[in-house]
Amino acid sequence: MNTSITWRLALAGAICSVVLPATAQADWPSQPVRVFVGFPAGSSPDVLARIVTEALSERLGQPVVIENRPGAGGVIGIQQMLVSAGDGHTFGTTINGPMTTAQRMMDDTGFNVAEDIAPVTLLATSPLVLAVASASGIEDLESFIAAAGAEVDALTYGSVGQGSGAHLTAELFAAEAGVSMLHIPFTSYAEVTTSIIGGEINAGFMAPSAAMSFVEAGTMNVLGITSSEPFGQAPDVPLIAGNAGLSDDFRAELWNGFIAPAGTDEAIIARLSAEITEILSDPEVQERMLGMGWQVAPGTADDMADRIAADTEMWGAVIDRIEAQ
Amino acid sequence: MNTWDSLLLGLSFALQPHVLVYCILGVLLGSFVGVLPGIGAMAAISLLLPLTFYMSPEAALIMLAGVYYGAQYGGAVASILLRLPGTPQSAVTTLDGYPMTQQGRGGIALFTAMVSSFSGSLIGIVVLVMLAGWLSGLATRFGAADYAMMMIFGLVAASTIGASRPAKGFAMITLGVLLGCIGTDVNSGAQRFTFGHAELLDGLNLVALAMGLFGVAEVIANIRNPERQSIAARIPLRSLLPTRDDLRRLPLPILRGGTLGSFFGALPGTGSTLSAFLAYATERRLARQPERFGKGAVEGVAGPEAGNNAASITAFTPTLTLGIPGDPIMALMLGALIIHGVQPGPMMLEARPEMFWGLVASFGIGNLLLILINLPLIGIWIAMLRIPFNYLYPAIIVFLCLGVYSVRGLAFDIVLVAGIGLAGYLMTLAKLSPALLLLGFVLGPLIETNLRRALLIARGDPMVFLERPISAGFVLASMVLLLVPLWKIWRRKRAAADF
Repeated sequence: MNTSITWRLALAGAICSVVLPATAQADWPSQPVRVFVGFPAGSSPDVLARIVTEALSERLGQPVVIENRPGAGGVIGIQQMLVSAGDGHTFGTTINGPMTTAQRMMDDTGFNVAEDIAPVTLLATSPLVLAVASASGIEDLESFIAAAGAEVDALTYGSVGQGSGAHLTAELFAAEAGVSMLHIPFTSYAEVTTSIIGGEINAGFMAPSAAMSFVEAGTMNVLGITSSEPFGQAPDVPLIAGNAGLSDDFRAELWNGFIAPAGTDEAIIARLSAEITEILSDPEVQERMLGMGWQVAPGTADDMADRIAADTEMWGAVIDRIEAQ
Repeated sequence: MNTWDSLLLGLSFALQPHVLVYCILGVLLGSFVGVLPGIGAMAAISLLLPLTFYMSPEAALIMLAGVYYGAQYGGAVASILLRLPGTPQSAVTTLDGYPMTQQGRGGIALFTAMVSSFSGSLIGIVVLVMLAGWLSGLATRFGAADYAMMMIFGLVAASTIGASRPAKGFAMITLGVLLGCIGTDVNSGAQRFTFGHAELLDGLNLVALAMGLFGVAEVIANIRNPERQSIAARIPLRSLLPTRDDLRRLPLPILRGGTLGSFFGALPGTGSTLSAFLAYATERRLARQPERFGKGAVEGVAGPEAGNNAASITAFTPTLTLGIPGDPIMALMLGALIIHGVQPGPMMLEARPEMFWGLVASFGIGNLLLILINLPLIGIWIAMLRIPFNYLYPAIIVFLCLGVYSVRGLAFDIVLVAGIGLAGYLMTLAKLSPALLLLGFVLGPLIETNLRRALLIARGDPMVFLERPISAGFVLASMVLLLVPLWKIWRRKRAAADF
């Protein structure tokens, strides 16, 4: 019974995919488009999504509605997108975690990235900066590595949780620099910041936008940035790559991307990808995103798929190392 | 710039017509959504956020802040008249507010809540203006060890609130702490009691828990008990006005609650929850007849209401001067500012004094408006109780489900609220205090996380709790609270033995 239904569905799908693409794209979008965001209204993934969907709705001639389904580091939003999938008008945005590391950190995410998700395009990337309290007297990467290397776990660092970008970035950095630091998990960058300034912990990788105002106030020093090129919002911060004995290709970035449920018409994905790329080329959009600490990163669906594959491998190796300890 | 100039700058800013309009809009909306059970400031601010993209950052902040503290006024209405607290701090208000309603003194309870909220906010504003610099540094002086011991002190101090017997109180706190364990453990990343449900990874939904334990449980209890359904119809009009005796009891609890609240509000985290519970515990300990509490004591409404409103004012200091939001709603407001390219942080007071002081001035204006609007409305709110229960209760349940659903948009949470409601009803039968369960639920995970974090940072040395002065102070205070009653019992026994 089951097989016969599956067969019929498959047959119907095959017929549709032969007959419909041309009309599907011509009519699309024929109804409001929904975009699931796995973070609450006002969070930075939400605001990035809103900047894009605002322009998208003008270009598509249909309302583009954001549905916030926060929880489990963005995983709930993707689950909810997949539940509502199938009408060709349901999409989502995601941060890197659910696409690259969540499968390793959670018992069951309820989806498989390779089978269930169709990448559309990256939206923006954000590097992290390594910050210490200015009271520590540490002013550059070399003296930081020297202090951290004095003995095992000589320094502590804060992150926004086990397996978070800030945690994995710090472990990647420590492995490359040949040091070992003690990880102290927090729940938000705000807590990490307070703890660094209060002198409770020594360091942390954090968003440039959050750290720079403390640098200006003279309470924090930032020692390096994890991007491969100087970053617009913090142009004076030196790259970690190629500095203090670290390799030239050191790069660790958070990213935000636009996704579709697997099975979405490829012509629709290509159209969306092209529209978003044009939106991201608008200097005003770029400036708004940069103000929040995000650098636009337009590209094709394939570029995003490559990024997912590369990051899954890179962070997977870091997680292997943490688990082996 | 001295304090006086700062205030004048703030006033001249906040009194500009377009800013004033947004302030009025914010407080009106806030007190309206606050009354609707479960639909609190969080939902309202999330909905308004996209609109603020088109406003100036100052106006946006002032409007959203108005919703935030306005909702506290409205929240008191639902807590006192219907036993529907949307937050742990308003759960404290139900402890004596709802019994007052049952005695036909609901109008007096509302009056007390409004006046205390207003006075508490004023105390918060005065403290904020006098000590802005000191308050903003407070958060960085508190480390993990200090937070852990402060919250343990809070639990110890509040442990007997609303419980018929101390053992029952401790049992409820423990149950709350256990429920708080559900979700992802911050320190290890392990998933506890989630049974494979991603919906539970971030823990139980607090709004669902509060609504189920109080609201749903109360509705079930009233359906079973026809006598309680008719109380509302007997309220005489004169009960809207407080007696001279009621008024005489208000000033000191308000002053104490407001002071406590101003201090704890400036600590990011659970400032306003802790201050409401501590204000209540303080009043009960100082009262000549502590047995009146839980049965409709006005001090039990005045202290906590003054406390949580003062806390909601000073809570803006860490948000704006450190960029550290104390709760999810503050995080939303921070988000709204960042969207406008304003980065709250240590430079805020210097870089945008008009915004900071304008906000402070708007607190004063907003609270004045709130009390002027809300006092005349008391009669109307009381009239709501005259709605026949077969219309009122289904409406309550619908609003409550809407409110719970609005937090995350998951049907899972509605099923959760139904289950919790049933458990809550069984708890009422056994005379177990849901307020203490909520306190344990909120503080438990924070105590655990901070305790383990402190030990991790100290490389496992427990002396860290005695070496840090703030932490040591709270340890000492907790010991005193625990030992004094034991010592009293011991002395009584010895006196009895001497005969």
